[in-house]
Amino acid sequence: MSAAPREIDAGARGELDPRAWRAETASLGMWVFLATELMFFGGLFLAYLYLRTHDPEGVAAASVHTHEWLGTINTAILLTSSFAMALAVHAAKQARRKAAQRLLVVTAAFGLAFLAVKGIEYGLEWRDGLVPGLHFTLAQNTRTATLFFFLYFVATGIHAVHLAIGVLTVLWIAWRLRAAALPDWRVDEIDVLGLYWHFVDAIWIFLYPLFYLVNLNA
Amino acid sequence: MSYLEEGFTLRSWLTTRDHKRIGILYAVAITVFFFLGGAAAAIIRLELLTPQGDLVSADTYNKLFTIHGVVMVWFFLIPSIPSTLGNFLLPMMIGAREVAFPRLNIVSWYIYVLGATFTVGAVIAGGVDTGWTFYTPLSTLFSNTHVVAAVMGVFIVGFSSILTGLNFIVTVHRMRAPGMTWFRMPLFVWANYATSLILVLATPVLAMTLLLLAAERLLHVGIFDPALGGDPLLFQHLFWFYSHPAVYIMVLPAMGVVSEIITCFARKRIFGYKFMCYAILGIAGFGFLVWGHHMFVSGQSAYAGMVFSMLSFMVAVPSAIKVFNWTATLYKGSIELTAPMLYALGFVGLFTIGGMTGLYLAAIALDVHLTDTYFVIAHFHYIMVGGSVMAYLGGIHFWWPKITGRLYSEAWGRVAAITIFAGFNLTFFPQYLLGFLGMPRRYHSYPPEFQLLNVLSSAGAAVLAVGYLLPLVYLGWSLFLGKRAPPNPWQARGLEWKTASPPPKENFHETPEVDAVPYAYDPEEKLA
Amino acid sequence: MKTVPALRAYAITWAALLALLALTFALAHLRLGAFNAVASLVIAAVKAALVALFFMHLRRGRALLVLFALVAPFALAILFALSGADYITREVHPAPWAAPHGR
Repeated sequence: MSAAPREIDAGARGELDPRAWRAETASLGMWVFLATELMFFGGLFLAYLYLRTHDPEGVAAASVHTHEWLGTINTAILLTSSFAMALAVHAAKQARRKAAQRLLVVTAAFGLAFLAVKGIEYGLEWRDGLVPGLHFTLAQNTRTATLFFFLYFVATGIHAVHLAIGVLTVLWIAWRLRAAALPDWRVDEIDVLGLYWHFVDAIWIFLYPLFYLVNLNA
Repeated sequence: MSYLEEGFTLRSWLTTRDHKRIGILYAVAITVFFFLGGAAAAIIRLELLTPQGDLVSADTYNKLFTIHGVVMVWFFLIPSIPSTLGNFLLPMMIGAREVAFPRLNIVSWYIYVLGATFTVGAVIAGGVDTGWTFYTPLSTLFSNTHVVAAVMGVFIVGFSSILTGLNFIVTVHRMRAPGMTWFRMPLFVWANYATSLILVLATPVLAMTLLLLAAERLLHVGIFDPALGGDPLLFQHLFWFYSHPAVYIMVLPAMGVVSEIITCFARKRIFGYKFMCYAILGIAGFGFLVWGHHMFVSGQSAYAGMVFSMLSFMVAVPSAIKVFNWTATLYKGSIELTAPMLYALGFVGLFTIGGMTGLYLAAIALDVHLTDTYFVIAHFHYIMVGGSVMAYLGGIHFWWPKITGRLYSEAWGRVAAITIFAGFNLTFFPQYLLGFLGMPRRYHSYPPEFQLLNVLSSAGAAVLAVGYLLPLVYLGWSLFLGKRAPPNPWQARGLEWKTASPPPKENFHETPEVDAVPYAYDPEEKLA
Repeated sequence: MKTVPALRAYAITWAALLALLALTFALAHLRLGAFNAVASLVIAAVKAALVALFFMHLRRGRALLVLFALVAPFALAILFALSGADYITREVHPAPWAAPHGR
């Protein structure tokens, strides 16, 4: 931000500490962005809601073909990555540059682990002929199963893209942290990156039961 | 030194982070698209001079109205006031030097250009024929035109909107000058703030919808396909959840402009300032609740239709409050009929007519007869053209001295405003009658008994075209040969008028401190 | 935030998240009828709330921030509710030649 802090927001409550102003403004900007991201995924959730309410048996039958163990392990991986990220942000706020850097790398590593497991899952799903439009060979329950897996791939695919962007950004910032200084604006960057990372985690928290936990009690 | 003199190279413009220059970059871009969309409209109106479809084939006609809609909605109207006047003025009006995220701002312009490239590419490659609404299953399963390219263009340009909205929200919350409390802000700022809320919440839903459409078209599999148990109406719910609030994106900033102009040229404080603020927020909020009124005859349940119908009646209330308040502002004001004022007054009248015909359409029983006819076309053109475009032009004229440092020819400004007003009504009023008589939209031929009204409409379009071309000439002329403008040629209130015309790069040499109510005009004081 | 309480808060949050994951996985294997879906979504909402409150610092955020965090879920609720109003009140007339119930 280019504005000199002296001039701003004093209209409302006279808060003039530039450091706090900067951090809160960056945070507000990221929360607004995350609101747009939630609205983006929202359309998919409506499509899922439509399918699940119009053919619950079909969705239940189709969902047995997802790999719930891999999905559950992946959820644990992502939740742990959020823990690491929270610790990284905390370290950065305490000016512990090396600790922050290491924790960011740990976060990215968990993110990469998630993507690797996802890749394995996608491979298994390709092998099993569960990819609509490209390689779909399920014999029974084809209509709803096609739609279920269409939504599965779109939702988890877009989620994976968001996660990959997160991983790359985390690694890039970790790389930049090798320099001796940890300026305030870098701490703010890590803070908002953390917000993004946790959001990607939160989206997965909802995708997991919707695609993996539908019909495990047959 | 003004912001215009900080660098004269193309590079200094293309790498700028100055919100004022970015506003101008947007203005240039959207003007190009306005005339592209206008060209499509010109051919449409030429075709409709005769009842037979004899100028272009039916397929070409479909492509023309599609590209007219896509370009005018997404590449002209949605960015028009927010990204041009909003970018230029919003920081100044709150006493700030810049927007919160200047780099995101210039990135948003480049995203606009990228999206525009895709869409122009789709046009050049042969066009799209689905209508700007891209309804399934035509767009996903049956159309043989460049749907994916066009849809990708719209998808991309949506992010330009989102980033602009994000920037404005954070700027208004965090960068107001000392003393600039919420209820001292100009209504233009309130309007753009509310618009930004819609931009960030609604546009992403469109993005996902278009992505699903493209996926269905490319993979031949998808959730909108009835053969698979999918639902074409799911597309419509998702599409209109964005596209209805989108019309408020197009009209709220226009209302903000009108409030600024009317107060200045009636020399009077706005009537009911707080109600105007609440009405702006009310329009933005309620606007999210009414989208199903575009789907009354689509197969949506009648009960849902009734709910949407009732909500649609309710959303008219805050707009009506604004019209009453503008009228009350004019009452006993000291009125000066400058070009901006002519545009603003035109807005109030034409928006009212357009808005009231919206109520006709909100009544399901009437909508069954009027939907997909020229009545609907007349309704939304009264609001978007008679309303938003006129307000945009009014704003351009009002702030022209501030932005360019030059005065335009007031005589020519008035001529253009009156020409546009006359041309507009001649073009679109007959369309209400045509729609009521049953002429459907999106057809290039029609029964011969409709010809007279169509000829009147096309004649009006010719007048309108002249009216739109005139400002290009005299505004362009003023850039080089116009008289230099003083800081406040209109003796307007508002922080933007307290600095030079054109402003310095940092907007103000000293941070303004605000202790006055907004619109502290006095009708006794005449314009010099 | 002081160091030790902060780290403890994060660790407890993480442990709670993993516990809830185990719970939702276990519950999914029980035959609870319609309650399966309800339970899994409620647990997901609790997990997301924990992430938002503790990892994303909403708990000590300003009112404005909390408002911004709630606006999008609220807008989605409108999307679901009014679209849902259509879906639950529509009369469906399956075409005579259509296969029964979407298979």
